[in-house]
Amino acid sequence: MRDEKLSLKLGRSLLPNLNVLLKDSPGKRVLLLGNEAIARGILEAGIGIVTTYPGTPASEIGDSISAIARDAGIYMEYSTNEIVAVEVAGGAANCGVRALAAMKHVGLNVASDFVMTLAYAGVRGGFVIVTADDPECYSSQNEQDNRFYALLSNLPCLEPSDSQEAKDMTISAIEISEKLELPVLLRTTTRVSHTRGPVTYGRLVKPNLKGEFIKDVKRLVMVPANSRPKHPVLLRSVEKAKEISESSPYNRVVREAKDREFGIISSSSAYNYMVEAADLLGLNVGILKLGMTHPLPEKMIAKFLRKYEKIVVVEELEPYLEMQIKAIAKDYASDVDVYGKMSKQYFPREGELSTRMVAMGLAKITSRELPVNFGKVDEKFAEVARTLPARPPILCAGCPHRASLYVMKKVAGEEAVYSTDIGCYALGCAPPLRAGDMMTCMGASIGTTEGISKVIGENTFAIIGDSTFFHAGIPGLINAVYNNHKVIVAVLDNLATAMTGHQPHPGTGMTGMHTPSERILIEKVAEGCGVKYVRVVDPFKIKEAEAVLKEALARSGPSVIVFRAPCALMVVREKRRKGAEVVVCKITDKCTNCLACVKLLGCPALIVEDGKVEINEALCVACGLCVSVCPCNAIECAEMD
Amino acid sequence: MKEFNIVLAGVGGQGILLAAEVLGTAAIKEGLNVRVSELHGMAQRGGAVVSNVRIGEKVLAATVLEGHADVLLGFEPLETLRSLKFASEKALVIMSDEKIPPTELAAKMMKYPSMEEIVEKIHRFTKDVIIVEAAKLAKKAGNILAQNIVLIGALAATEKMPVKTESVMEALRELVPPKHLDINVKAFKLGYECVKKGKTKF
Repeated sequence: MRDEKLSLKLGRSLLPNLNVLLKDSPGKRVLLLGNEAIARGILEAGIGIVTTYPGTPASEIGDSISAIARDAGIYMEYSTNEIVAVEVAGGAANCGVRALAAMKHVGLNVASDFVMTLAYAGVRGGFVIVTADDPECYSSQNEQDNRFYALLSNLPCLEPSDSQEAKDMTISAIEISEKLELPVLLRTTTRVSHTRGPVTYGRLVKPNLKGEFIKDVKRLVMVPANSRPKHPVLLRSVEKAKEISESSPYNRVVREAKDREFGIISSSSAYNYMVEAADLLGLNVGILKLGMTHPLPEKMIAKFLRKYEKIVVVEELEPYLEMQIKAIAKDYASDVDVYGKMSKQYFPREGELSTRMVAMGLAKITSRELPVNFGKVDEKFAEVARTLPARPPILCAGCPHRASLYVMKKVAGEEAVYSTDIGCYALGCAPPLRAGDMMTCMGASIGTTEGISKVIGENTFAIIGDSTFFHAGIPGLINAVYNNHKVIVAVLDNLATAMTGHQPHPGTGMTGMHTPSERILIEKVAEGCGVKYVRVVDPFKIKEAEAVLKEALARSGPSVIVFRAPCALMVVREKRRKGAEVVVCKITDKCTNCLACVKLLGCPALIVEDGKVEINEALCVACGLCVSVCPCNAIECAEMD
Repeated sequence: MKEFNIVLAGVGGQGILLAAEVLGTAAIKEGLNVRVSELHGMAQRGGAVVSNVRIGEKVLAATVLEGHADVLLGFEPLETLRSLKFASEKALVIMSDEKIPPTELAAKMMKYPSMEEIVEKIHRFTKDVIIVEAAKLAKKAGNILAQNIVLIGALAATEKMPVKTESVMEALRELVPPKHLDINVKAFKLGYECVKKGKTKF
């Protein structure tokens, strides 16, 4: 296998220098990403244990802590998946240690089974669950609004709008959690997690990692007889949480208006757009900013509603606040009009908001003229945009997934069905590879492939990455074996959780604490699950991979093929770090410009200038895949000789 | 300063996020309020990447309003065009001439537009355009990856630079690994000089 040892050294040296987070200099003002600010909050809250499964936009919380965990005296791990992450952190929190588990929004779906019932059992040490939502689906399969998890689970929820609040609320969430003996949700969005803003430091608090498990069956063993009486206890806690919400510094009237016509209620990033939009329109309005959004401060909102004739609710995604504010209005201020996105849509319910969208909605509600003629800008830009070629995210030059997907398609063709999964390889659904016919959530490739195979009888592939396989692939694989589904599970093992920043996973031999650990090999797991045909191939050795695929297709039951080669980005960075030269492929005179390489692979390093194929030397990493597919033997690669 | 907006546009892997962080950190060093928006994850893989740097006392939102950017820092010509809707009528566009053809062009046998066509389109939004041979200068500084700092240097040579050069240097010392600092400082100087000496195209 090429460079397999790379994974052991992998990535950890790639982490940025985050020692700035470790400085105990209260009052110091620094520029931090929302996620880094949460990491600083972890240090100021004395949190002892941090768990995560990487996922955009949450990844940098875990990565920042991983980089400094040893120096900070924190235990950090990249757990196998999100439910394991909350279980590990929740177990420790029940021994009195302060804990935090971070994940992306859809990660909370995975973790929710544990979280919903942990809400009944409660915690002794503070426990914060960070959910990073992704309006606009920048890096996600959906844009669900996880504030509804707070309503569903009855857990308190804090929503920061900037980096400073992200840090402060991490500390407050721990305090609230300990006061109520409940886990607390900290809900960010992409724009909060991935925006840098000024943060003023507070004092560092030494983390405590020494816990004590107090046996208490009635509290901790959620059999029906114990969970039934815990439900009213949880509901009483919500009432206590409401009192906290009423006096929370994060829920406050930030602007009073002399004019009693309009009052605006908002939270998170939407608040930022709203304030700028209101100023752009020159509105004289009252503004209530909400930071603790579950439970809502009913009395505070009622008082605000009574002050104004018309209330505008500005929030991203679902009308989570609006629904509840309308219910509060019914009880306390029945003559107030509430504008938002429910009865009439002034703001979109899908996608990310912007200052422009909020300004347009506010202008309509308040019957103002917009001071900017956006229509004119749009018109002018439409002409430029019309001829602009798209530039969607693509597989990098040298990506081993390109080779794996290419050879699968070569052997099984267009007729076969390719169910793909969450990871870089999902980008292979685009032309020219078009190897991705269905994709929903982590691990779903395997299960869906089994159903498809059962009813269509054609060749079916499950395409799943290494980290995703460990995360959620194994139950599906056992199902395939036990029920004898004729599927090929192609595990695209690039030796890292690549998409989110090359975090380690159980197959890499490294932990979040930077300690080596024995690698768990995917082929061994597959054999252990009872798969009879398991092979490991190098995707760049096209002929060998083809032979293995043909064998697998001829079988009547499930098979597993591990396509193993390290992520191209890791290989290149490692070379650069060592100061080694990155060689590139060369096109020789034999080239007939048949464009086979361009049309088959869609590699960004293959460009066409004046009808001639050329290599973009800044991008080529000499993977040699184009050498293998060129029908004229016109491409040379020094690396392969 | 009421409000100053910079839009940085290019292709994933061009060092756009570092450039934005350098500008943001420099602003923090001067005690200014700032927001820097970033894009991570899937969106980064060779796709179009846009980052915003917003400086000003009242700035809250992470993103620039259409037609309100004071500076458009283009790392790649086509991506500069893609972000033109953010440029104000008085915006300064500083653009690298380094072309990265999108794969769609090769697949559809389309030509990358000429520099004249690109500049003509920019002129529909603003007349203030500086084109910098950022890749060439970065290579001269010692590493093609330093294009981002070349562009910051070019911006520093104009009236539109919102922060002081000393603050940028301080930010670079903080953010760049020591062994790469010299190359980055050199890249900054080459970008600065090329604009000062008028050695820009067009």
